[in-house]
Amino acid sequence: MSRTIDVIVIGSGMAGLCAATAAARKNARVRIISEGMGCMAISGGAIDLLGYDNEGNLLDNPWAGLKTLAPDHPYTLLGAENIKTALDGVVEIAGRHGLRLKHAGDDQNPRNFRFPTIMGTLRPTYLYQDNIDEQTLANAERVLVVSVKGFRDCRPALVINQLRRYKGWADKEYVPLVLPSPFDEKGRSLSALDLAHVADRPQGRDWMLNAIRGIGKGFDLVLMPPMLGARPLSPVRDKAAETAGCPCLEMASVPPGVAGLRIREALVDELHDLGVEFYENTQIKKAEIKDGNCASLTASAAGREIVHHARAVVVATGGILSGGVILDPGKAREGIFNLDIPVPGNVDDWSEPEIFGKHMVTSLGVKVDSQMRALDKNGVPCLGNVFFAGRTLGGYDYAAEKSGHGVAAATGWQAGSMAAGLALGKTAEQKASGADI
Amino acid sequence: MKVRINPDKCIACTTCVVNCPVSRVTPKFLGPRMIGPAYERFRLLGLAEDESLTYCANCKNCDITCPQGVHVSSINMLARAEQSKKYGASLRDWVLAHGELQAKMLQMIPAGLKNWGMLNPVTRHVLDKLGIDKRAPLPAFAKKTFRQMFKKINQPDLPRKIIYFPGCYIDVYDPQTGLDMVWAFNRAGYQVISPDAFCCCGLPMIANGFWEDARKRAKRNLTELAKWRNEGVPAVTGCPSCALIFREDLPEYFPDLVEKLGMHQLEDAQDFLLQCAERGELALREAAGLEPMEVIYHAPCHLRAQGDGLPGYKLLQALDGVKVTEANAGCCGISGSYGFKKEKYDIAQEIGSELFRKVRESKAEVAASECGTCRVQIQHGSGKKAIHPVAILRARLEPGNRQEGQTG
Repeated sequence: MSRTIDVIVIGSGMAGLCAATAAARKNARVRIISEGMGCMAISGGAIDLLGYDNEGNLLDNPWAGLKTLAPDHPYTLLGAENIKTALDGVVEIAGRHGLRLKHAGDDQNPRNFRFPTIMGTLRPTYLYQDNIDEQTLANAERVLVVSVKGFRDCRPALVINQLRRYKGWADKEYVPLVLPSPFDEKGRSLSALDLAHVADRPQGRDWMLNAIRGIGKGFDLVLMPPMLGARPLSPVRDKAAETAGCPCLEMASVPPGVAGLRIREALVDELHDLGVEFYENTQIKKAEIKDGNCASLTASAAGREIVHHARAVVVATGGILSGGVILDPGKAREGIFNLDIPVPGNVDDWSEPEIFGKHMVTSLGVKVDSQMRALDKNGVPCLGNVFFAGRTLGGYDYAAEKSGHGVAAATGWQAGSMAAGLALGKTAEQKASGADI
Repeated sequence: MKVRINPDKCIACTTCVVNCPVSRVTPKFLGPRMIGPAYERFRLLGLAEDESLTYCANCKNCDITCPQGVHVSSINMLARAEQSKKYGASLRDWVLAHGELQAKMLQMIPAGLKNWGMLNPVTRHVLDKLGIDKRAPLPAFAKKTFRQMFKKINQPDLPRKIIYFPGCYIDVYDPQTGLDMVWAFNRAGYQVISPDAFCCCGLPMIANGFWEDARKRAKRNLTELAKWRNEGVPAVTGCPSCALIFREDLPEYFPDLVEKLGMHQLEDAQDFLLQCAERGELALREAAGLEPMEVIYHAPCHLRAQGDGLPGYKLLQALDGVKVTEANAGCCGISGSYGFKKEKYDIAQEIGSELFRKVRESKAEVAASECGTCRVQIQHGSGKKAIHPVAILRARLEPGNRQEGQTG
């Protein structure tokens, strides 16, 4: 039947898109069922791997930090090889659709990149979108910080003041510059996305290139908001440095962050190429369990119920904000299968006084094995054909350790691979693990 | 009107802003988050409306992408209804909202004369002054309406019955597709009933602020559907926007009506046919000797909003001789009557430009889409013919009996 398929992926954020890609690449027929579209598109578009180790130390090499993580951390469960497979996959797909993603250092010595944001902070991230290396940033003596008139979220003076707090950035010479707006005074206040959309249009392309033409003369570096196109492929982005007259870096922005939209578009285009089905604007209301497997999923869609069947299911429904994890006073559960998530009965114990520290509430979620199958309280997989990925998982604090998109990509890829393997017959790997599926 | 949608589920994440086709191309629209949930709080305080409310196209991409399940477009349509009630609406908006009524009034006039009357440069100039852009692709009236033609069909006497809701576009501009639909259901073993009592689904009225007119249509349609529901007869429509109105909008906008008359889910005709094919009731064997055909398919936003995938696309995929690709290019820009309006024509063309480019550059000889006005827009923007998936189905399965030249 048309509603029966090999693999259903619930959720279309970073984890869901990666799961669907991995499963489709193994030749499974895949359907994505989504209520909204996750937070990839509004994010700053850099893929964090691990910014801080388990003790909160800033990491130069994220791969070295993996060793410090707890045994039930998703990265520890996956191992470096699986994480690398996922990230390589994302880089390759982005590249095929015209978007360059790279890390600092080289392949033998990969390193984190300290990514300037429009708030003037340096965020430790791994994959970023510019073709600029950290040496250019470190060596730059004269820096031009650019915004556009009417774009209230990006203030060059703030960026400069904040950057001066950082070692290596304190002694640079900064010049602020506000470019004229491409819009007239009326209309809404500008976002980076508005500017990026201008750059995507043929007539806007010329405006953008004229606006930045020659501004970098006499400078070693231009920092600008992410305004060089919202699509993965952008002729303007490719010409920016040459046109401006010096290397340009688009800073990470607040939502709508533009650069995340580019990654999302690349991944979605890839899924269309792979023939993955999209069922949008629909919410899974209940799951039927038979003999420890998910037998069917009932979706609510525009006022009616639709039953879906799949041989394997990936749950990538996100965390507390998106309903993947549901909190009740003194209790927590996963949103579709109602898996109990153990939490302290006293809600005061869920968070800590130090707001930027680690909090229990940001790391609670479903506990899984290395295949991403949920474990019951005895540590035994409890749903044979259901695999979990992304923020629905427990055991990592994305906010404190800066690992959000990285965990989502890596666990999504693994969950999708495992689901496809199960749907199409056991993979060698699964046989070797002796898993009873 | 007491219906209100709680804006407080919105967490201001901007996902809708990223996906709004209108705010992508013009700064004149404050955007779905601002005009929807954010401004709703000002409305509740009785503050004046923001004038950019009229720029919402009601395409529903905000609803489709919202991770919190906020019906942003519904907030906008309710606000628009309130504005229209308070301050009245323009003649232009009345004309665009009541195409059904005009078609009825003009019924006695031959199509050729009607089309000459409506589409000649002088009328277009007058309409342009009224606010309907003279470049806009107003569809031409068909020689006879679907209702008139349907009455003349000799259907086989089949035990199973199905109710077909044609929708205004099929009735007035594209009756041939309606006939193709009847043919397909007959072939699947269903005798088609298309009751005379059916009228416009009400969407153009909702989108233009004519709330009471939409309510009257809803009452009439739901009353008719209730009769058939009680007899256990399924009902279908080939138009995604009509389906969406019945499934989602009427319960939200007129809950009292739905409570009194009950719901009868208008099913997607393409999905119904697909399921017939899967049950073996409808053989998808193509006629012998046909050349293979390439088609580029556009998914209407109002279909995507219904959470049941793309059944019309799957139906085309099920035909061996048809190579179909999905355009994957977002909204076409027309949004019913939105793209006909003078101040919105350029916005609509800009929104659809990516789709037009893909259709133009595709090797496909035709484009396919379930929505009538999407097809009008695609033909206008790309220069390629755009037809309904069920029209292609018939052309592949029984090419001899299909009359060409009836489509707008």
